[in-house]
Amino acid sequence: MGSASTQMTITLYDFELSGNCYKLRLLMSILKLRYDIIPVDFYPGRQHKADWFLRLNPFGQLPVIKDDELVLSDSGAILAYLAKKYDETGLWFPDDPAITAEVLRWHAIADDITATSSSARLVLGMFYEFDLEKAQQGAHRIFRLMDEHLWFGEREGRDWLCSPDHPTTADIACFPYVMLSEEGGISRQDYPALRRWTDRVRRIPGFVVMSGIFPAGRAAS
Amino acid sequence: MPLSLSDSTWYPIASAEDLPLRHVYQGQLLGRELAVWRADDGNVNVWENRCLHRGVRLSIGINEGGELKCQYHGWRYANRSAGCTYIPAHPADAPSRRIENKTYPVREAYGLIWSAANSDLPFAPFPGAESGDWFALRPMPVNAEPADVLTALAGLAPDDQPADVLPGMGLRLGEVTYFVQPVDANRSVIRGLLAKRPENEAAALRAHNETLTRLRDRLERAAARKPAPAALQPTFDKVSVELSTMPDIVIPRGNTMPVVVKRKWQTADGVVGFELAARDGHLPTFQPGAHIDVHLPNGLIRQYSITNGPGELMSYVIGVKQESASKGGSKVLVDTVREGDVLAISEPRNNFPLRRDATRTVLIAGGIGITPLLSMARFLDKSALPYELHYFTRAGEQVAFRDELGALHGKVFIHTGVPRSEIATSIATTLGDWSRAQHVYVCGPSAMLETVRVTAAAQGWPDEAIHFEYFKNDKVIDDSTAFDIELARSAMTLHVPSGKTILEVMRDAGLTVPSSCEQGACGTCLTGVMEGEVDHQDVYLNDSEKQSNTCMMTCVSRAKSARLVLDI
Repeated sequence: MGSASTQMTITLYDFELSGNCYKLRLLMSILKLRYDIIPVDFYPGRQHKADWFLRLNPFGQLPVIKDDELVLSDSGAILAYLAKKYDETGLWFPDDPAITAEVLRWHAIADDITATSSSARLVLGMFYEFDLEKAQQGAHRIFRLMDEHLWFGEREGRDWLCSPDHPTTADIACFPYVMLSEEGGISRQDYPALRRWTDRVRRIPGFVVMSGIFPAGRAAS
Repeated sequence: MPLSLSDSTWYPIASAEDLPLRHVYQGQLLGRELAVWRADDGNVNVWENRCLHRGVRLSIGINEGGELKCQYHGWRYANRSAGCTYIPAHPADAPSRRIENKTYPVREAYGLIWSAANSDLPFAPFPGAESGDWFALRPMPVNAEPADVLTALAGLAPDDQPADVLPGMGLRLGEVTYFVQPVDANRSVIRGLLAKRPENEAAALRAHNETLTRLRDRLERAAARKPAPAALQPTFDKVSVELSTMPDIVIPRGNTMPVVVKRKWQTADGVVGFELAARDGHLPTFQPGAHIDVHLPNGLIRQYSITNGPGELMSYVIGVKQESASKGGSKVLVDTVREGDVLAISEPRNNFPLRRDATRTVLIAGGIGITPLLSMARFLDKSALPYELHYFTRAGEQVAFRDELGALHGKVFIHTGVPRSEIATSIATTLGDWSRAQHVYVCGPSAMLETVRVTAAAQGWPDEAIHFEYFKNDKVIDDSTAFDIELARSAMTLHVPSGKTILEVMRDAGLTVPSSCEQGACGTCLTGVMEGEVDHQDVYLNDSEKQSNTCMMTCVSRAKSARLVLDI
């Protein structure tokens, strides 16, 4: 176990407008980790397909992180790594096998949210040629299920995606492209419980914003 | 039947539990998007979902408890009235109280939030509403025409027990009462109510949710097979130029309105609190530092600061000093006005606006001067902005509004019995040296105001960082001069002889000019000066404003030059 004071040098290969990079900035802010940023011009520069970047991640995807000499890619995998390595409370990626499975299930759903909500945003914001309607419908299908899960969670006293009474990396992984869905033309009006959950995520101590994601203001005292 | 934008029917638009404190719910009824939020006092607001400024959705804004703050440029709107209370781009000005967002009627009842497209119909409970202890099911949004959704719900009934049709797209089907919220031409929300809380809540909610999910999927498959009706096209009313521009520093006196003295109490030794309630609905929007004119039974008009916090519009609370020496003003209020009496008051006006962009805000009150500063502290408190409130009284028994002060979360210091000789030292320590974006607001006896002004200036505080409001003008007015006034807009030249005020001369000439205190303290008769040199004798303008020679108070100030040209 390391700690913030003895941590090695973390470098984030980052695109400011990427929700997947933001997931890492968010967790590192919450865990009070210091890190350097190397900007990668995803759009319009397509630097994530440049040779130098493909040597870091042959799949050509952001984000990539370097912790000393260790190079890691995939936002969900890195969230798990950062939590297991630097979160001394053990809350963000709990060790309990059943809860680990729960968290990983939502990490997978987070990837589905990226494949749908983020794709729609790439069509409308960065002129990618994906099937917009299919992406939007896919996001709505996931949001419906999330809203139902969170609505019943509120009734059962569960505020977060997984069963512990605190947020986990599952919440961090799913949050950005839920919150950015309007940029892909996906309204969240029909998902009131999902909207309330985004308030709760935005009130986690250490929360930071990115373009398109606004603060929620204080909770009632 | 196609939906109509002008349908006046009340429909449910949310569950009561959709609106926790400090959340903004996004809703829609008959094609119009809604920002719905519950204030800390429990009141539910249903507003058009767009900021008057740049049209950004208010549903992404911040619910601050008494005000809703737009996420884009930070305009704030008050609970209940939706009146604009603060514009960050004009931090030193009071926004026009006439800037109001569009609101829709609202009623919270039977576990649901109800609204309507207009106020043409009063809210009417559905048949049997009063007999239930209602429990809301999980709402089920459906991408299908509201009429089709209603038909499909009716189809859930067994053949021998058809559904009872209720007004407002409602149905009763055994133990469940359903309403269809017409979101848009091709969008609906099914809102179900059980007449009592089920024994096994979780199981019942899951079972109903499953039934409605199956119904939704069936409805959406059917809807996909036919052409979707065109979405409703609501129009948005434009804000008139008059309402959207910044007002002059003073709004001329409007009509008075009646208020009922709901409560009168001794809040401290020598201070009586009055709670003045609207006779119907809520009172107009006000900003911190605002005051009202109270028309007294003996014909006098006196100004009192509103002590309320943000969004508290059901009544205004003022504090009145019990002065034995008071000539007819406060004395009449204290001695003769009783609970239940009706008084006339003006709409709130603000000559003492509060900036909300300071890194440090120091509020200094002396005696009854606590009233506007209590309001300021409450606004800053709700927005979690830093402030220090220093309240000087002669003795502990004279501390007014103790409960209200106790409810604040910021730094509140009560200084009692500080000898007059030590007040300056105490204020000097409190203020410290000035640095950027620090502001001090002071209200109290003239001597104290002078002390704060002098002390602050000596410690480097610039005029624009020192904000004050005088109660009265203690100066002896020199009205010995005689001069001419040229009224540029009225195309008139008048002579002001010694012994008469400019205001009196203008009124003698038939002009209608607003005024209130007529002693150079309230700011009502503020007038623009185009030429000539003013002999300022008021306590309303600060030194910079006086030196600018661009405005004057016509009730007491006069001319040093032979002629003044006024913008009137």
